[in-house]
Amino acid sequence: MKIKLLTATIMTAMALPITANAEYSAGDEIRVLQGFKAGGGSDALAQLAQPYLSDILDVEFVNEYIPGATGGIAWTRLAKQSPNDGTVISITNTPMLMTNYLINEEMQYNVDELTPIANVITDPGIIVVGEDSPYDTVEDLFEAAEESPGTVTVGNSGVGGDDYFSTIMVERASGLKFEKVPFEGDGPSATAAMGGKIDASFNNVGIVYSQIQSGDLKPLAVLAEERLDMIPDVPTLKEMDIDVVAGSSRGYSAPADIPDEARQNLIEAFEELAENEEFLQQAEDSAFNIDVVTGEDYEQMITDMESEYQDIWEKVEDDA
Amino acid sequence: MDLALILGGLTNVLSLTNISLVLLGTLLGLFVGAMPGLSATMALALLLPLTFTLEPATGLSMLAALYVGASYAGSIAAILLRTPGTPAAAATVMDGYPLSEQGQAGKALGISLFSSFFGGLMSGVALLTAAPLLGVMVLEFGPVELFAIAVLGMTIIGSLSQGSVVPGLLSGGLGLLVSTVGMDTTTGTPRMAFGNINLFSGIDFTVALIGLFSVPQALLLIEKTGSPSKVASAIKDRLVPKMSELKRLMPNILRSGCIGIATGLIPGTGGDTASWFAYNEAKRFAKDKSSFGKGNIAGVAAPEAANNAVVGGALVPTIALGIPGSSSTAILLGALMVQGILPGPNLLTDHGEITFTLIWAVIMANIALLVVGLMFTKLCVSVTRIPDGFVACAIITLCIIGSFAINNNFFDVGLMLAFGAFGYWMVKADISPAPMVIGLILGPVMEKSYKQSMLIGQESFWVFLESPIATVLLLIALLSFLQATPFFRWIKSLFKMIRSQ
Repeated sequence: MKIKLLTATIMTAMALPITANAEYSAGDEIRVLQGFKAGGGSDALAQLAQPYLSDILDVEFVNEYIPGATGGIAWTRLAKQSPNDGTVISITNTPMLMTNYLINEEMQYNVDELTPIANVITDPGIIVVGEDSPYDTVEDLFEAAEESPGTVTVGNSGVGGDDYFSTIMVERASGLKFEKVPFEGDGPSATAAMGGKIDASFNNVGIVYSQIQSGDLKPLAVLAEERLDMIPDVPTLKEMDIDVVAGSSRGYSAPADIPDEARQNLIEAFEELAENEEFLQQAEDSAFNIDVVTGEDYEQMITDMESEYQDIWEKVEDDA
Repeated sequence: MDLALILGGLTNVLSLTNISLVLLGTLLGLFVGAMPGLSATMALALLLPLTFTLEPATGLSMLAALYVGASYAGSIAAILLRTPGTPAAAATVMDGYPLSEQGQAGKALGISLFSSFFGGLMSGVALLTAAPLLGVMVLEFGPVELFAIAVLGMTIIGSLSQGSVVPGLLSGGLGLLVSTVGMDTTTGTPRMAFGNINLFSGIDFTVALIGLFSVPQALLLIEKTGSPSKVASAIKDRLVPKMSELKRLMPNILRSGCIGIATGLIPGTGGDTASWFAYNEAKRFAKDKSSFGKGNIAGVAAPEAANNAVVGGALVPTIALGIPGSSSTAILLGALMVQGILPGPNLLTDHGEITFTLIWAVIMANIALLVVGLMFTKLCVSVTRIPDGFVACAIITLCIIGSFAINNNFFDVGLMLAFGAFGYWMVKADISPAPMVIGLILGPVMEKSYKQSMLIGQESFWVFLESPIATVLLLIALLSFLQATPFFRWIKSLFKMIRSQ
């Protein structure tokens, strides 16, 4: 019985390549460098997307977790020490990918040493306050900040993270001044807001969605172009003439100069992924905001972000 | 709470496939926990994709069992080899290894197993009965309160250094110093990293721990080889503790269990902190304080009951609020998401059946732990029969694999060996590494929460006294601090003098 089962498995395994829809030109295994711990946000994307990509490309994905320096170790390894034949890619989190080296000169890599493949998820920024907070609208919060500048405490996920920068962007657009309190990640920042330890938290929709649904957190505004389908009652900052659109995105990049064919294979795979109904449903169930941007468009997205955040950081440093 | 949901969860857990997978999960957890460097979090993350194909109840039960198993098994290597298998087992070394040296390894392991079982069971019951209530408590702990906890924890250094104050404080101070390496959270720039990107996120606590405890132990074993003084294997002493012994330890276990649950609740502290807190309290309440560190079974029971109770405690914020209480519970949350459940405060209501399945699985896993643990531990005790030289080589190999596996980074192996060399020097200089471990655990917590508190409190120290929780904790810290100094003795003798006059 056991032997039968084994032969059956081997037979299916052998039959697979013939029945698969596409072949990946660079081989049958792709290593994915992850700059964060297993079980974190990057890994969530990997677990969601890679089974589908594996079917599309007919490759095995092997995740390699190299946490440290907010992803910097993995991305340095991708840029400097990985074969550029398409067998190694990495999950790239923006804007962290760029702010890492914008803030720290010691960080050796930059985006020119990478081939951006595709963005998959964009989690828009959101401003939330605790259930018992006196602020019911974003105007309330901003008025309080106007009355006594620098005393309204707002949490972010850490210096250099998207929420830190979006707070600065809001400060610059509105002329207000907040007391920015860095936490170690989005979760602790949201918890502190829930417990009323800070006045507000700049966070991401996917992180706080279920706490918003349950009423433990009040959403004040989203930092998106348009209102979101998930929370249609929450206004955008744009509606208040504060032109700040920010969020945290996750996608895939390869080292610079990978073979064109491999790059094309990968890009097409992500385009196919974006059409996959089952994938989209599963993403929706997990409150992931799918935002597939591939190839040159992803490259453009990264370059635009880089210059925007560089500009912000230079001004921050001037003020300091 | 809905009784139907609770019973639904129970029936889910009690299926045959489920029970067998819980046993398997426990066994895996035991193995991972016993290996220094391989952590429960890592194993959970690796097992997670495998559970996708299982029923939600089955997958969750297996993950919970692994978590519970690993929380106990860290003590096996701590007791037998003076090598904590998990960071949470570092405190167990203090009294566990001396017991093993006295040929009572079996007894120590038995106490550890039963304490873990009771601690885990307590936390499971707390979860079942009071999760929403405890969940409210979680939110009371912000940066200000966390700082007070860290300060209270620091006083453990004082109590650990009794009798050797200067080396103890030196060791604790070094721990704090090393913990400052890495990113400054308020400026986002690295400190003391010497431009080395591998140091940007600081020195991984587990890497330092493996180096400080395991490498010196291996070197000492090699030094000892050839000398016939090795204590004969201790299989003959029974693993199952005597009833009278357990009865005597019960107050200790109950107290440590409560400490574990509370520490697990608080976001930012976990098993590594809880075990030291429990150890310290066991010592404080003991009549015979001087026997601690020389093989007192109370010093094994306390940290082990506490670190297993953390499992349930850490699940409280997960279940009641949808926020993970530790990196391990973050992965359990991930497991829920994969099953199409968006974790949030509605876990106990909308997804009650799954959630109660998870809670029952924790309780079940503790029972499985007792059964599987007894057999597994019995096997492990035979390590004491292996010649020291072989054991030493095995320890070094495990250290290298373990320190690499944490971040898949070879730099950490070098770092671990450096800490090993330093640890060896500490042993020779008769400086205990325990205070250093406390400094390493609590240093980052204290620093970050202090800076956050200062930002929240507009740079005023009053912020600590505005919070009743923080005030009480800081007062207890002050008392503990004074207890470690001759202050109380002065007062006593002062009273005596006044009375005699």
